Amino acid sequence: MTSILSVRGLTKHFRGRAGLFREPPPPVRAVDGIDLDVPEGGTLGLVGESGCGKSTTGRLVLRLIEADHGSILFAGEDVRAADAARLRALRRRMQIVFQDPFGSLDPRMTVREILEEPFLIHRIGDAAERGRRVRRLLDAVGLAAHHAARHPHQFSGGQRQRIGLARALALDPALIVADEPVSALDVSVQAQVLNLMKDLQRERRLSMLFISHNLAVVRHMADEVAVMYLGVVVEQAPRETLFAAPLHPYTRALLSAVPDPGGEKRARVVLRGEIPSPSAPPSGCRFRTRCPLAEPRCAETVPALRAVAPGHRVACHLA
Amino acid sequence: MLRYTIGRLVSAIPVLLVVSLVAFAIIALVPGDMASEMAGPSATAEELQRLRVQLGLDVRGLTVRFGPWAVVEDVSFAVAPGEVLAIVGESGCGKSMTALALTRLVPEPGRISGAVLFEGRDLLTLGEREMRQVRGDRIAMIFQEPMTSLNPVFTVGHQIAEALTWHAAMSAAAARAEAARLLSLVEIPNAAERLSAYPHEFSGGMRQRVMIAMALACRPALLIADEPTTALDATVQAQIIDLLRRLRAELGMAVILITHDLGVVSDFADRVAVMYAARVVETAPAEALFAAPRHPYTEGLLASLPRLDTTAERLASIPGQVPPPFALPPGCRFAPRCAHAKAPCEAGLPPLLPAGDARAAACIRLTDYAVAS
Ligand SMILES: Nc1ncnc2c1ncn2[C@@H]1O[C@H](COP(=O)(O)OP(=O)(O)O)[C@@H](O)[C@H]1O
Ligand SMILES: Nc1ncnc2c1ncn2[C@@H]1O[C@H](COP(=O)(O)OP(=O)(O)O)[C@@H](O)[C@H]1O
Ligand code: SF4
Ligand code: SF4
Ligand SMILES: [Mg+2]
Ligand SMILES: [Mg+2]
Repeated sequence: MTSILSVRGLTKHFRGRAGLFREPPPPVRAVDGIDLDVPEGGTLGLVGESGCGKSTTGRLVLRLIEADHGSILFAGEDVRAADAARLRALRRRMQIVFQDPFGSLDPRMTVREILEEPFLIHRIGDAAERGRRVRRLLDAVGLAAHHAARHPHQFSGGQRQRIGLARALALDPALIVADEPVSALDVSVQAQVLNLMKDLQRERRLSMLFISHNLAVVRHMADEVAVMYLGVVVEQAPRETLFAAPLHPYTRALLSAVPDPGGEKRARVVLRGEIPSPSAPPSGCRFRTRCPLAEPRCAETVPALRAVAPGHRVACHLA
Repeated sequence: MLRYTIGRLVSAIPVLLVVSLVAFAIIALVPGDMASEMAGPSATAEELQRLRVQLGLDVRGLTVRFGPWAVVEDVSFAVAPGEVLAIVGESGCGKSMTALALTRLVPEPGRISGAVLFEGRDLLTLGEREMRQVRGDRIAMIFQEPMTSLNPVFTVGHQIAEALTWHAAMSAAAARAEAARLLSLVEIPNAAERLSAYPHEFSGGMRQRVMIAMALACRPALLIADEPTTALDATVQAQIIDLLRRLRAELGMAVILITHDLGVVSDFADRVAVMYAARVVETAPAEALFAAPRHPYTEGLLASLPRLDTTAERLASIPGQVPPPFALPPGCRFAPRCAHAKAPCEAGLPPLLPAGDARAAACIRLTDYAVAS
């Protein structure tokens, strides 16, 4: 399978500022050298607990924030090397959808204005053409034409996410980065939005980087899955492999921690302790402070993410 | 025949009067103290207390109104000592208001009606002083965000000790020792040292443990936990549920677990009450509910969950959304979203109908759409 997005050695450390009489705090190693591949026309699911670096990864890919190191290739083009003009062109083809799509938008704008904005920015069509496109977008995400005159606060969470999707689709992108798109929704509405995303993906041959802390949702959406822990990818595999035969002790613990109603009761691996601070990650394997299988060498050597089967990579000395 | 019946009735009037007077006396007594009535005058205080505890919680027709709108309506359920009841439903269906109504903490201008029979007394008729005592000594609550209940300017040890001296009239030294014991009971490492830490020095999971420790200070008979793990990560959530499971077994307390997460329910609850638009629409033993839901809403909820063990191309979603309390549809509130809805469904609110072993569902499909009388 060809990749539409390839990330290698991507790194972002957030540096705090020094105070007048204070040393700068140690940097937050939010993303610490990760490799990812989003299959063309498919979905890479990025899963992990809060603070492991998922959102930072999504923002880095779109250059909403700048990386410290690493390369980002989108459809063969070096995203980090793009100048302002190229970046604007790239951003037409890479869009992002957030958990709350209106967190950053002007609440005084109507849905029509929100959906029209991308066309205005990119100088596409006259007023009549833009109106047609807005109506087509609303239709694509299952909203009615009369919704265009309303303001975001007049919509329920599920409808707001539909509008967020419509805006992301306005410029016919090739890649969508979806950062926890259904995490704020109730399950019945979550199912509606997930179905819609799958339909849109099929109809428009979209590729997706789908970010979520919810394993079941990721399983439903993704073809490939990457599991992050404390700024690094610990395991990546095709969906069926990852869920049927996870190899990394963290993936196994994470899977066993999620109760599956109606499913079989699985043996639970209860992890001790909590996630360490990303400013001071443990030496060697970052998971070793909680790993039930940790050995002395885990504190000394960083386990490399290496292939154990075609398409299945694991970062563990024992795998 | 009619004359005969009337004659019998007239001659029975004195008897009826006496019977109804006695009944009235009992009814008048019951909400006050059902246990002492049942135990009789010769019961010792100990026997009385044991009987009280056995009565557990019995909620009848609980309703919470804000002005004309009921956000909790005619909710009934019982929780036996040591039992875990989960109240589930999507946001806005009235779960938190139900929890608050049980302890009379509904915000103004909310009005509570119905009966909350707890250990033989109706909590809704208690005086404010007695109610405070129940809240402190017999029923404890924990919430999704522990920081709202912890005071940021006092150490955790101080706050637990204060709860102890207030409820159990303990000396300061004894309270501190007990606070340390409680922190280790909830598996906080280095409990004795952590007593002098402030709430913000704990992680989210550890703060929830501190809240649980404080809730346990009074050895409650009932713990009401409103979305206790919703803000936590999966691995930490699993730790907290394991902790609650262990404490419930060791301390024998009953738990009302309020959550929107059906996974957590299947992991921990004995019984489940499913709420939709302010009402209970189904109640059943947890396993039976997940194996074969009887209400179309429960069925839809379960079907719309993405699964960890199978792959489906599409999820079975429920169309539309939950109606707000001020725009309820006529008849069955689920009808506009229900795939099985027929004309009779809009005729009236379906009552909870028996639906198998120890279970009930508010759906007239169970009676082949015979309209409720
Ligand atoms: N702008 C920022 N400045 C400093 N630290 C940040 C910033 N953004 C994120 N972080 C930190 O980086 C880590 C990863 O965050 P994030 O990518 O948001 O994780 P996730 O999305 O997986 O929850 C966290 O420790 C977070 O606090
Ligand atoms: N203080 C309040 N005044 C009026 N209505 C309220 C108040 N708080 C909550 N509500 C309403 O009560 C209903 C039930 O809310 P709640 O019990 O919090 O739901 P849940 O916990 O199931 O998400 C909702 O429709 C909500 O809007
Ligand atoms: S490398 Fe060692 S500590 Fe890390 S996951 Fe493997 S066994 Fe555990
Ligand atoms: S009563 Fe009718 S509308 Fe309501 S849940 Fe049952 S079948 Fe559906
Ligand atoms: Mg995030
Ligand atoms: Mg609530």
